[in-house]
Amino acid sequence: MTTSTLPFNDLERVYELLAEALDDLPEAQETPFLAQLALALAHRIPDLSEVEAAIREARRASEDAGK
Amino acid sequence: MRPAGRAESDSLYFDYPYFPFVRPPELDGETPRHRVAIVGAGPVGVTAALELARHGIDCVVLDDKATVNDGSRAICLSRHSLEILQQLGVDRRFVAKGLGWTRGRTYFRDREIYRFEMPHSDQERFLPMVNLQQQYIEQFLIERAMESERVTLRWQSAVSGVTQDADGVTLTVSTPEGDYALACDYLLAADGARSVVRKALGLALHGEAYEGRYVIADVRLKSDFPTERRAFFHSAALPEATILVHKQPDDIWRIDYQLGPDEDPEAAVREEAIRDRVGLIIREVMQERGDWELEWWSLYKAHTLALDDYRHGRVLFIGDSAHLVPIFGVRGLNNGLADAVNAGWKLAWVLQGRASARLLDSYTPERRGATLDVFANAGKSTRFMTPPSRGYRLMRDAALALALDNDYASPFADPRQVTPYTYAESPLTLADRDAFAAGPRPGAPLINRRLGDDDFLLDYLGTGFSLLLFGEASPELAAALGDHPELRVLHLGVEDSALGRALPGDAALFAAYGAEPGSAYLVRPDRHLVARWKRPTAADLNDALNTVLGDARP
Repeated sequence: MTTSTLPFNDLERVYELLAEALDDLPEAQETPFLAQLALALAHRIPDLSEVEAAIREARRASEDAGK
Repeated sequence: MRPAGRAESDSLYFDYPYFPFVRPPELDGETPRHRVAIVGAGPVGVTAALELARHGIDCVVLDDKATVNDGSRAICLSRHSLEILQQLGVDRRFVAKGLGWTRGRTYFRDREIYRFEMPHSDQERFLPMVNLQQQYIEQFLIERAMESERVTLRWQSAVSGVTQDADGVTLTVSTPEGDYALACDYLLAADGARSVVRKALGLALHGEAYEGRYVIADVRLKSDFPTERRAFFHSAALPEATILVHKQPDDIWRIDYQLGPDEDPEAAVREEAIRDRVGLIIREVMQERGDWELEWWSLYKAHTLALDDYRHGRVLFIGDSAHLVPIFGVRGLNNGLADAVNAGWKLAWVLQGRASARLLDSYTPERRGATLDVFANAGKSTRFMTPPSRGYRLMRDAALALALDNDYASPFADPRQVTPYTYAESPLTLADRDAFAAGPRPGAPLINRRLGDDDFLLDYLGTGFSLLLFGEASPELAAALGDHPELRVLHLGVEDSALGRALPGDAALFAAYGAEPGSAYLVRPDRHLVARWKRPTAADLNDALNTVLGDARP
């Protein structure tokens, strides 16, 4: 677990910002946009193991949702 | 709407009362002057009438119907609303008939991903939420109003015109036996979303209408599933629709489901369409195997719309006539009841000359402030329940998928249920001078505390202003209280008291209020806090009462 994380209110703001950014893009650009965003965010996290944990969480959620 | 062959009042569980037309004196040439007229005998209008009556003000309530609401509609009463009903002396029937609850569950792709629990403890008299069909809510309030000598209910009386001048308001009322003019000092418009009073004054609601439409349907079904709020996202049976399920008394279940963006609402509310969709939800989503009967249904569209000003001269708008809010979070009825009480006590105190007319200026900032707070929360809830676009839908499903295994994403699935609004910015509220480590802050409603078996702090509030006094008061304050006989003093943590009602108060109660010996909380008739002090002086108390009541005080 991380020692410091984004407060939920800010996470909620991110949710809304992303929803609006996605709506501004053509649907075909969604996946590249999200992959670029993931790299840009990872660059700001100084600990590789944190990024790896986030990849595992997202992957697990995708697998669960696909069941 | 009801199934084919059944009249609007032909319910599986509720016997609709019939309220006859009674010829009023105005139709026989008399011209009585009413202090307050209320348009609309729904839950908000009748609550306002009972609040006025509680403060000793007579009123007349007009409604075009001859019975109560056609369907269950607003079914969730919050604890704050039950505390209002307690002050009106009607809470027992609501608690006895209603189904109380504290919990809810969220499902994503038919798997439970989140359970929420609303704040509750043995310090509370009421559960955080009680489910009760709106017909019962109206019936219990109306029967209480019929017992009151101060409330006159005029059924089958439709208001068709409203004019006002500096001295009063005149209504044109249409009845089965002809039209008449009704004159009053003040008018409360509780006539709902399609308010006639609002139109007559040429006023419009402003705000947004969301895209999502919902069908709300009631069925009778025997099931042991407990009273909880269930929300289903992306179910296998109806992947595109968000579904909400609530239990109501008399084995009635409320099923709300979202319509797709391309669905024709007229086709969706035909009986066969309702039966198909509801049947699928009962079997596949709720996993119920028993027989069910269709009771009633309606179509619903989410709005965040409000008047710019809730008061226009001698007309005050309360409930849906002033604001329309999305259903998610159960704020429509609960905020309407708070409007009714806020307008009711202020009007009573002004009419009795116990407060200056400026007290009414605080109605809009307090209650429109509450509406704007609802909009901020309900807007988020609505975008979650009914994503308005591809981007919002993608983010919603991403948050739900992460919430399966990660607690940090669970709060996205929280229903953000109604909480009472704090009038922190109100002209009637005094900001803290002293530092309190706990307790309701100025503008917030009082919190309850258990004093004994079936015995709670809020049970002792008076009809007017109350002062919670913790332990021994300073001699100066004690002497000053003699100048405020109208103030009901609840003296906590003392054996007996010359200043007011002595009540038990242990260290835990003092701690919950952040109080020390000598601390005091000044409370309005609607349980909201005006001010609090660690060591109040006579001048503190006097200034606070002057802030609220102005210079009209005797």
